[in-house]
Amino acid sequence: MTSKRKRFVALVAATAALALVVTGCASKTETGGTDGGATEATVVKIGIGAPLTQGAVALGKGMERGANLAISQANEDPAVVDLGIKFESVSGDDQGDPKTGVTVANQFASDSKLVGVMGHLNSGVSIPASKVYNQNSIVMVSPASTNPALTQQGLDNVFRVCTIDSVQGPSAADSAFKDLGFTSAFVVDDSTPYGTGLADEFAKQFEADGGKMLGREKTGDKDSDFNALVTKIKSLSPAVVYYGGIYNSGALLSKQLSDAGVTAPLMGGDGMYDGEYVKLAGDAAAEGDFCTSIGYPIDQLPKGADFKAAFEAAYPGDAIAAYDAYSFDATNVIIDAVKKVAADLGADKVTSPEGKTAIIAAVAATNMDGVSGAVAFDANGDTTNKVITLYTVKAGAWTAYVK
Amino acid sequence: MAPARSVYQRDTNRAEKSRAVRKTGDRSVSADVLVQQLINGITLGGLYALIALGYTLVYGIMLMINFAHSEMFMSGGYVGLFVLKALTNESLVGVGTVAFFKGSSIGLIILFAMVFLSAAIVVGLLGVVIERFAYRPLRHAPRLAPLISAIGVSIFLQNAVLLWVDSKALPFPSVMPVVTVIDAGGVTVNSLQILILVTTLLLLAVLDTFVSKTRIGKAMRATSQDREAAGLMGIDINQVIALAFFIGPALGGIAGVFHGMYYGSVKFDMGFLPGIKSFTAAVIGGIGNLRGAMLGGFVLGILESLAAGFLSAGYKDVVAFAILILVLIFRPGGLLGESVVEKV
Repeated sequence: MTSKRKRFVALVAATAALALVVTGCASKTETGGTDGGATEATVVKIGIGAPLTQGAVALGKGMERGANLAISQANEDPAVVDLGIKFESVSGDDQGDPKTGVTVANQFASDSKLVGVMGHLNSGVSIPASKVYNQNSIVMVSPASTNPALTQQGLDNVFRVCTIDSVQGPSAADSAFKDLGFTSAFVVDDSTPYGTGLADEFAKQFEADGGKMLGREKTGDKDSDFNALVTKIKSLSPAVVYYGGIYNSGALLSKQLSDAGVTAPLMGGDGMYDGEYVKLAGDAAAEGDFCTSIGYPIDQLPKGADFKAAFEAAYPGDAIAAYDAYSFDATNVIIDAVKKVAADLGADKVTSPEGKTAIIAAVAATNMDGVSGAVAFDANGDTTNKVITLYTVKAGAWTAYVK
Repeated sequence: MAPARSVYQRDTNRAEKSRAVRKTGDRSVSADVLVQQLINGITLGGLYALIALGYTLVYGIMLMINFAHSEMFMSGGYVGLFVLKALTNESLVGVGTVAFFKGSSIGLIILFAMVFLSAAIVVGLLGVVIERFAYRPLRHAPRLAPLISAIGVSIFLQNAVLLWVDSKALPFPSVMPVVTVIDAGGVTVNSLQILILVTTLLLLAVLDTFVSKTRIGKAMRATSQDREAAGLMGIDINQVIALAFFIGPALGGIAGVFHGMYYGSVKFDMGFLPGIKSFTAAVIGGIGNLRGAMLGGFVLGILESLAAGFLSAGYKDVVAFAILILVLIFRPGGLLGESVVEKV
């Protein structure tokens, strides 16, 4: 009896431990080019911090794809081989959760060969993680976190290649009021720093433009039932419903609005710019919805075609998500800085404290011609490239809106 | 289906008009909204009630809270999705069969009967297996042990789906056409909402009769009152408990399919919030009491909808749990709870 019970307790403990390993920790996948050089190359690691199992997974996986593409290209670059460096990527799954994000950040920081982090996606994760990187002199380049607060903390190691919400939100409001002719709006957010920030900026500008705000509501980022809210929205008949949040819940809101017979389209930010949105909401509900996303559409960029070709060769069958190109650029920003520091100080110094500080300075001085356009940073670490594109769902896919 | 919303169909005139109506006839419009919110609440409450039945049934017999029940609900959504996909896959069941399923109303009824039945059976069996391996060995252990085991099972199942199925939300195909049945003065009720409500009430009636009228039901009640005495009277305790662990999860599984159909997607962590809410509903109604679970589900669903509609969407969880605290303070046994027998 007791031995049986003991055995069972052990089994339960083992199950719990297994579950903890699965949920709590970063999954590590290491990729890198083949080591062709005769001499031992110095391994330089770049962390990829993104939601890979929970949260906005479709976008997070895209970040991983973009970063790994940049790294494998760099390892084939003769200049990198000559410098005696070999890049490796380490993926950390932040699950779109601030606490898990900090755990991932600490894991990255404990790796002495890791000099930079490409990430994170969610502003709510990036902000606490950035403090960990700052304490460890690790440069952080986010391809996707758009909350203005991220770069206003006075941390010299924090950069981003995407435009911020104080540009995106007002741009969306201007599009809604001026280009699309929506005179009234109901604004909803998902209570995350990203969603709240974006919705606030939208609301402010929409009212300044002369639009009428019919309501402002908060929901949870894991909510699935919006029917009560939908009924409220229906009774107010806004011309547009603005949602600050990620595609998972945004799609459900759009579906429930449509099911209830609300004809006003749903509009959102870059967190909704993914094919998953249309799949989850259903073609009928998503059709005619709007979102803004950062930068120009991929096929309008000078380097877009090259990127698309390389992407399709590396990931046959995958579609390019919102941040693949930005993650590619963000990773290249770190790679370029490492190359510069390796040339100045020598490859063996790159992972030293001195090297890491030099990398941060080199990133700050970036002047790169990336896939998303010219990449350079202002004093805060924000990109100087402030382009926002309006998209709409047409025939079941996000397409750049043409008036 | 509702018509596609698009810019080209935008009717700003209508918006202007209805706002004008609002100004002149505020009272009538808010009455419409009130009724609509009640309907939303009843639908949501029906889902909570279905899940809460599973919590309360297991608690009634085992005096344990099956925290893995939210994952039974989630599994139901996935099983329903896979069966639906398989049965509408032309290369798997043949073009003719799919055309029959999708083409006629009898076909649709048969299709969804099969979807719900298979979800109920598979999830019910899963419940029995979980009881056998995760709870039965702990039956004589301190009461905390099966509770921890249940949490372990819950985490295990979530992560199993996450790793082996998908971490992304999967869209639930809208095979069943959702038609608006009632559309009166701004209040709309669709066929799915009615289906959820009718199914929930029907299942409760069947379960209630089963427990109060049949021999096995009597055995269940006896086991619930005193497990050891019931065993001495010749009742097969293991069978009764296994049955409770079949029925409870089966109901949760059905709720999972409804959730998938109603909200249009399933996700590995979809059980968490409804699970907690339904557990709350079971406690509000009086845990261990079947009708109480039902009442608790509807009370919670309606209050949540009213809170989201008339206060703010952000307050709905605050209201839900404030109600729980109030009920626990003033009626610790729940609304329909029996006077608590000291069993701890």
